[in-house]
Amino acid sequence: MNTLDPTTFAPLERAAQDPVAYATEWKERTGGLVIGSFPMNFPSELVHATGALPVIVQESRTTITEGRSLLPEFYCSYTRSLADQAATGELEVFDAFVLVDHCVQLLGAADVIQRVIPDKPLHFTQFISSMDDAWSRGAVEEKVQAMRAEVEESTGVTVTDESLTASIRVFNENRRLLREFFDLRRTGRLHIPASALQVLVKSSMVMDITEHTALLQQLLDRLDTLSSAPEHLVRLHLSGHFCAPPRPELLNLLEECDVVIVNDDLYHGSRYISTDVPKDGDPFAALASWYLDRNVNVPCATRVQLDVDWQSYLVDTLADSGAEGVVTLQAKFCEPLMLYYPELRRTLGERDIPELLIETEHEGLAAESIRTTIETFVERIRRQRSKQLLPA
Amino acid sequence: MSLDTNQSTKQSLDLSPTRLVTPEAPDKSNRLSSTRMGGKMVADYWDNIFTARERGQSVVWYNGSALNPIFQAAGLAWCHGEAFSARLAAMHMEEPAQAAGAEYGYNAELCSYSRTHLGCAVLTQKGTLEKQDGIVGMADQEELAAKLPSPDFFVNAYAGCSTGQQWDAMTYRVFGKELPMMNVSLPMIFGTKPDAGYLRGKEWETTPLYVEKQLHKLIEFIEDQTKRPFDWDALSENMSYIKRASELRIEAMQLCAAAPTPATYWDWVASIAPINFLPANQMLVDYFQAVKDEIEQRIREKVSAVQNERYRVYFDGIMNWNKLGYLTRKFAEHDVAVVAGRYTHDSFWQEPDLIDVDRPLLGMAQHYLICPINHGMKIMEELLLKRCDEYGIDGIAFHSTRTCRAMTNPQQMLARTAERERGIKSFSFEGDVADAAFYKDETLESGLVAMLESIDQQRAKTAQLV
Ligand code: SF4
Ligand code: SF4
Repeated sequence: MNTLDPTTFAPLERAAQDPVAYATEWKERTGGLVIGSFPMNFPSELVHATGALPVIVQESRTTITEGRSLLPEFYCSYTRSLADQAATGELEVFDAFVLVDHCVQLLGAADVIQRVIPDKPLHFTQFISSMDDAWSRGAVEEKVQAMRAEVEESTGVTVTDESLTASIRVFNENRRLLREFFDLRRTGRLHIPASALQVLVKSSMVMDITEHTALLQQLLDRLDTLSSAPEHLVRLHLSGHFCAPPRPELLNLLEECDVVIVNDDLYHGSRYISTDVPKDGDPFAALASWYLDRNVNVPCATRVQLDVDWQSYLVDTLADSGAEGVVTLQAKFCEPLMLYYPELRRTLGERDIPELLIETEHEGLAAESIRTTIETFVERIRRQRSKQLLPA
Repeated sequence: MSLDTNQSTKQSLDLSPTRLVTPEAPDKSNRLSSTRMGGKMVADYWDNIFTARERGQSVVWYNGSALNPIFQAAGLAWCHGEAFSARLAAMHMEEPAQAAGAEYGYNAELCSYSRTHLGCAVLTQKGTLEKQDGIVGMADQEELAAKLPSPDFFVNAYAGCSTGQQWDAMTYRVFGKELPMMNVSLPMIFGTKPDAGYLRGKEWETTPLYVEKQLHKLIEFIEDQTKRPFDWDALSENMSYIKRASELRIEAMQLCAAAPTPATYWDWVASIAPINFLPANQMLVDYFQAVKDEIEQRIREKVSAVQNERYRVYFDGIMNWNKLGYLTRKFAEHDVAVVAGRYTHDSFWQEPDLIDVDRPLLGMAQHYLICPINHGMKIMEELLLKRCDEYGIDGIAFHSTRTCRAMTNPQQMLARTAERERGIKSFSFEGDVADAAFYKDETLESGLVAMLESIDQQRAKTAQLV
């Protein structure tokens, strides 16, 4: 197992664990504005170009209390946590909120935030979610401009072509460095806990991006000799889990069961960093391209696109990483995932690719029963492995 | 959203009290008799759909907005997914479809309209593959769930709920991605700007134009599918029938501001299917004329819809199709007239003045955008208070619909607004749109009784002051 330089890793871990504390400290230090955005498609570059700190609002680990009377229990943990954070003052650090996604549960949480903390403006500009209509590109370009106006209104700063181009450059650089870690892992040259990789991505969603990039570069520079995971470990791909990260404890639990995670399409993973914003041409139009491109690169169940399939992407990516099975992580009540899941299952089943669904909840982890399920799954893959080794 | 509460020629809707109703309690509800005609019209409509392929008609499956006047003008047979799911649930025949959906992998916490319909899609697809004749060939033809004719193409135009759009993206895949599909995107009217409100503000002025353009594209798409030029005159004619029917429906609803009310929310629920997806023609207009006539007659003759009306309640949430008859009696049993509701009064061509038969697509686009789940909080609050004032509402019943987050989204906050702004009490009960397993009678009984007690206390206090 490789070790990430602890001194460099520590501030990333702190920011990932307590994004609000990071944002508060940043605000005190710089006197700047902090703008909260919601997953999964807001282009942070737009806020960054005003000099404000863009922060993707994260699920809090706090037990949901007041949020219970604001959104029903049958909402996903992320949206229930948002409602709770609004009611318990955890969102105080934010000066405004921006949203371009349309998940019905997220919109419910946005309504709650607006009502509970009405002094914080919440700007919603809905990006078209049908991605391959003749008018999709134009519609997104228009909405990027609409969101630009909202961001400018909230910050009092005009976003120029130059400032946006500069922001695009720094975000692209950050994504590139993050992808380097993922590429090293996928190609078997880096063996670090999946939870550590999650820290790298999550912290990039909440930290000042230049500071984050410098730390990433330092981590890469200080990486000890690259090493691959032992052969006996079962290679898995983690799929799903939109908007909020799966608990690190769950990732650790998987790895305790003789598993190595070689790739993922998690939002707090490859999905988030999959796509760069084109660096040439009109930077505002480039943000629209980024939005459309990322659904082609890593298809998402929250979008609809006739010529792109999440399951086909999965099959291709498995071939690339050599993963022997897929674990689909589903936040309980996440409707887009519930709707798409049967297609994933069907496609993987048709190809005899082992697949396991694990449902996650805000309230905790049924560790022992999950462990047993994973162990059984790992055994199944091992048996499949030995069968393949048998002479025909 | 949509539904169908009416009777089929073969299976009947269960509008009788269920086992949970106090058996000895007399039925104090007095439903309109004119809505029975709608039941027959709806049954005929579905029978016609089931045989569309035999007549060589092309079939479109669609979800969300009422695009049917367009389909009708194009000579298509139209199958509305939600309407069929609602029909199955109201007839207590949803289980085979839901079981097929579950077997395919759809989780029980998923929107039950969608998984019922996706289950139908699985059965239909299976039948199509088995028979190759385009008529669903499930072994047991008695199963209504398997009677949908397979589609020639899909159209989705879902406002206010991401699930609605994603659902059809999955139906498209259940059918192997082999059939054409078109999405009409309907942005939410979020209404946060200072000028925003119901039918006003810049957002309201611009968004329908964007949708209108897409409807033109939809018509081009349909022309491609049918290989026929679209009949614009037929569309205008259809919309003139819809406009008239809608005017009559709204006028009839407004008569129910009278106390005691001559008709209830449950009568309007029974009238949703006609206004939402039946063919636009004189019969439709006649139906709503008959409903209005009966209401006027009741007012003249002082006939009330609930014996001894003592409380006037507003119903917020999507309908609970499995419990339609039960809920009708249950509320009446407590002397409650459920007078109006978000699902009935703020949906389904509810602003006939917006319909211009010379520019039909704009009025259609506007209606698709004022679907009651497509507004932000500010507009929802405005609408709720307006209805409470119009109908003299004493209390609100919030149907917390387990698998329809779109309808449940703002409920807790709407409850606070009603109490703060008008002192109106409310309660919430748990159920679902099409999955009976989620219904919890105890939450209805205890919540309703508690709300009525607080209304009594409030009234007593007011009486003392007077
Ligand atoms: S996409 Fe899933 S996780 Fe994200 S807000 Fe919607 S339901 Fe919640
Ligand atoms: S969740 Fe509700 S609004 Fe959304 S698709 Fe289902 S029934 Fe329609």
